Amino acid sequence: MKLNKRYVRSIKANLPFYIAASVLTMVTLLMFYLFYIAGTGINAYGDEFFSKYKLESATFSTYKEIPDEELSALESKYGVTLEKERFAGVDDGDVRVRVFAPNKKIDLYDIQDGRDLRSDGEVLISAGFAVENGVKPGDKIKIGGKEYTVAGTFLRPDYLYMVENESDDYKNVTSFFLAYMTENEFTSRFGGGSINNKVIYGAGTDETAFRKQVNEDYFMSGYLAAANNKRVTFVHEQADMFLMSSWFILVIFPLLTVALVCILLGRRIRAEQKLIGTLSALGYEKSKLMRHYSLFALIPGVIGGILTSVAALILSTPFGSLGLADYEPMKPEFHLPVWVAVAGVVIPALIYYFAAMLRVRRLLSEDTVKLLAGQVGNDAKSRRILSRKKAPIKRKFAVRQLIGSPGRSFVIFLGIFLGAMIVAFAFSFIDSVKAVGVQAHGEFGSFKYEYILNTLKDGRPEDGEAVFALPYEDKEARRFTLMGLDGDAVLWNRTLTSGESADTDNGFYITTLFEEIFGVHKGDPFTFRSIATLEEKTVRIDGVIKNGYQSYILTSREKAAEIAGVEGEHYNAVLSDKALGYKSEEVIEIISDKTYETQMDNMMTAMGGLIYAFMIIGMIVCIASLYATINTVIAENSHNISMLKVLGYENRRINSMILSSNHLLLIPGIALGIAAAYGVMAWYCAEFVEVESIIIPATLYPQSILCTALITTASYIISLLLLCRKVDRTDMIAALKDGRE
Amino acid sequence: MFIEIKGAKKQYGTGEAAVYALDGVDFSLEKGKICVILGPSGSGKSTLLNMIGGLDSLDSGEITVDGQNITGLSKKALTAYRKQNVGFIFQFYNLIPDLTVEENVQVVSEIAADPLDMDEILTALDIAKYRYRFPRELSGGQQQRVAIARAMVKNPKLLLCDELTGALDTRSSRSVLKFIEKINNRYGTTTLIITHNEAIADLADTVVRIRDGKIASVTENAKKRTADEIEL
Repeated sequence: MKLNKRYVRSIKANLPFYIAASVLTMVTLLMFYLFYIAGTGINAYGDEFFSKYKLESATFSTYKEIPDEELSALESKYGVTLEKERFAGVDDGDVRVRVFAPNKKIDLYDIQDGRDLRSDGEVLISAGFAVENGVKPGDKIKIGGKEYTVAGTFLRPDYLYMVENESDDYKNVTSFFLAYMTENEFTSRFGGGSINNKVIYGAGTDETAFRKQVNEDYFMSGYLAAANNKRVTFVHEQADMFLMSSWFILVIFPLLTVALVCILLGRRIRAEQKLIGTLSALGYEKSKLMRHYSLFALIPGVIGGILTSVAALILSTPFGSLGLADYEPMKPEFHLPVWVAVAGVVIPALIYYFAAMLRVRRLLSEDTVKLLAGQVGNDAKSRRILSRKKAPIKRKFAVRQLIGSPGRSFVIFLGIFLGAMIVAFAFSFIDSVKAVGVQAHGEFGSFKYEYILNTLKDGRPEDGEAVFALPYEDKEARRFTLMGLDGDAVLWNRTLTSGESADTDNGFYITTLFEEIFGVHKGDPFTFRSIATLEEKTVRIDGVIKNGYQSYILTSREKAAEIAGVEGEHYNAVLSDKALGYKSEEVIEIISDKTYETQMDNMMTAMGGLIYAFMIIGMIVCIASLYATINTVIAENSHNISMLKVLGYENRRINSMILSSNHLLLIPGIALGIAAAYGVMAWYCAEFVEVESIIIPATLYPQSILCTALITTASYIISLLLLCRKVDRTDMIAALKDGRE
Repeated sequence: MFIEIKGAKKQYGTGEAAVYALDGVDFSLEKGKICVILGPSGSGKSTLLNMIGGLDSLDSGEITVDGQNITGLSKKALTAYRKQNVGFIFQFYNLIPDLTVEENVQVVSEIAADPLDMDEILTALDIAKYRYRFPRELSGGQQQRVAIARAMVKNPKLLLCDELTGALDTRSSRSVLKFIEKINNRYGTTTLIITHNEAIADLADTVVRIRDGKIASVTENAKKRTADEIEL
């Protein structure tokens, strides 16, 4: 039909709107795409790597070494794969090394750079440390006073997140690394070394029976399932965090953006009502007109979707890599699944298509005469505001624009709201993570140092407060710590959610995080078992301690020892409000009141790139949505603008008159955007407990609120400045010819 | 002369599609006179009005109004020129729909250097009783009177009327023309009316006929008639 000739002309005439709407669609969809691609890419890489390099099901140690011939018997009996791993710890002062003899069946290494070992004078070192410290194949490195040539770097599946100790929360690739030596060299340096048993369970393995037999025959001294090993689980947890974020983003931001673009498209179509009425009067069928206008609406959807796919292809790898900055240098391939790319183009395009179609249909249900006169949607009831009041015209005009055109005001509000929400969400993410660092230690207690000892000691320490702590697991093998304190100990937090203090001498208390993870509440019985012996014990929970960062059961030292089957007074950790003189060989780890804060700061440094990318996207959304919206406002006001120009109003004054009413929407838009971001963050944090086993307090500091307000206002001003020329370019004569009221 | 136009040319489009809206117009008008410019549709009369009013600019030639050469003025200077000197009245009134009658007039008086008394104008045009109504609540004739009030409140030197009765019935047209006549008599405002209605020519001191962008004739009206006397 001849009408189709309008497409190019109309697109040219409304190009800024189509660009802004396409950019909006692209940017918000891109956020979803990037998080989704990163999540699926990491998951796929993890699954493949774990499978290819034979990730363990668990690591365990025994007091009595399992003879080699018994390993085969156990393998046959339980359908498992077993291997003894030989290792030794070397402390070189500033750097600590965990040296391994190569495994053959479980937790195999993958060379990243260089080549495998060929001689006794060579070592392989963990890739993260090599990258961090600039060590390359061919370089020399000293381990325990002996110099080796670095043959290559490697990754291994049970160390993709490099924590030195099981209890550490944050990686260490600066002063700790793994190394492989040849069997021969390992034996000559360390003899048999220490032994860890690695197991991979088969599909039909009765894990409990296996563990019970190992304990009965060889006395289990430690057991860590891969599912509880953060060196392993952090990979999928990171992927899950990306995926969870992607669905949050999808539910909130693209939906709001699509709604905004639909509203703007509707208003654009309504502005064409005279033409629609004319074509209808000329005999054009409703279906033809609906199709004609719907095709215009496809433009931002299709262009936005295609741009999203292209941008996602370019950005997915650097974006995903930003999220993996904390990990060993894995190299996942980030692919955009075809169905996601197609859905990204088709879904918004179809939504815009049908929104436009419905709008035209609604218009055509109106009286044609009203359409021809351009009177549809010009309900003037609320324009009477201030009509009998003495006030400057500018103010009256602004108030009527605001209240008299609620639809128009709503889209501007939505643009400001959306921008503020995304920016505030990014700030809230940063603040919430920081809050963990700042608040966490307060919920731990008032101690300055916690010394985790590597041996069990008797009696009471000379300085500090004694703690007896051992790990246990529930029936689903989820681990936690059972801690015992003396009744007069004051350095550990005992404050219950009710405000009272936990009476540890006479009860068992869990933390709020424990409550979230295990689904146990005050008054409930809770059954758990020893990790070594699998002996079960049931206790009744007497209260909940306010602590969203640690998952433990707190009781008296006496009860904790009794459950562990140990007689007498013992402790394996010491709390102190001052530094104590423990030697480094006596302690596994020293936790200070700044440890958690430092770890969170490190986490933010690693995640900073992601968050700031998110913030920039927020600003783009803010500018693009406001640009598209205010562009529409100016187009709708072109008659008034022309008339004011004819009457001798300067552009500056016209801008102020037409657009000043929108300034009033800034405050509620920003305020509600911030409130919504906080709400979304609280929701996100609640879901985050499942993924990361930590209760993050949704936080937004005053300075972040101020920054959000400033960034949103700046985006608003930028979009106004971009549109200043639009008023200048408004054709007075053409608009006046069309200005029949 | 209050208005002097020399060799005014304006072309729209290029190449084969080029149309000369004004093709060498020379014309002048004395201060305080009423001039009616007659011509069929597309003859260039609206273009001429737009040029004199500073809404558009010439390709070549010169326009001087009250001694001020407005040819080649910047957009900013043209805005100031319109603000200080010119009152416009359009066929379709072009009132601001969001503003009441009073506010539509006030929108000009607020920026005028030496505005007339608004109440006096509204009373003179017999629209004071509608001051709190919105344009859509008025008849065409009433809206046009509001447009006249808006044009006059700044006490312009020059009143430009583009087919001001084109959308009105005979009774409303006569009423509107009477007000134009009254304003000219009371304030001595130089008035330019463009129309294709020959009957309005009788109201003028000077009648200019324009065809195909050129002045066809300029005649002084020896037997000027009042609005009540002309046959619309």
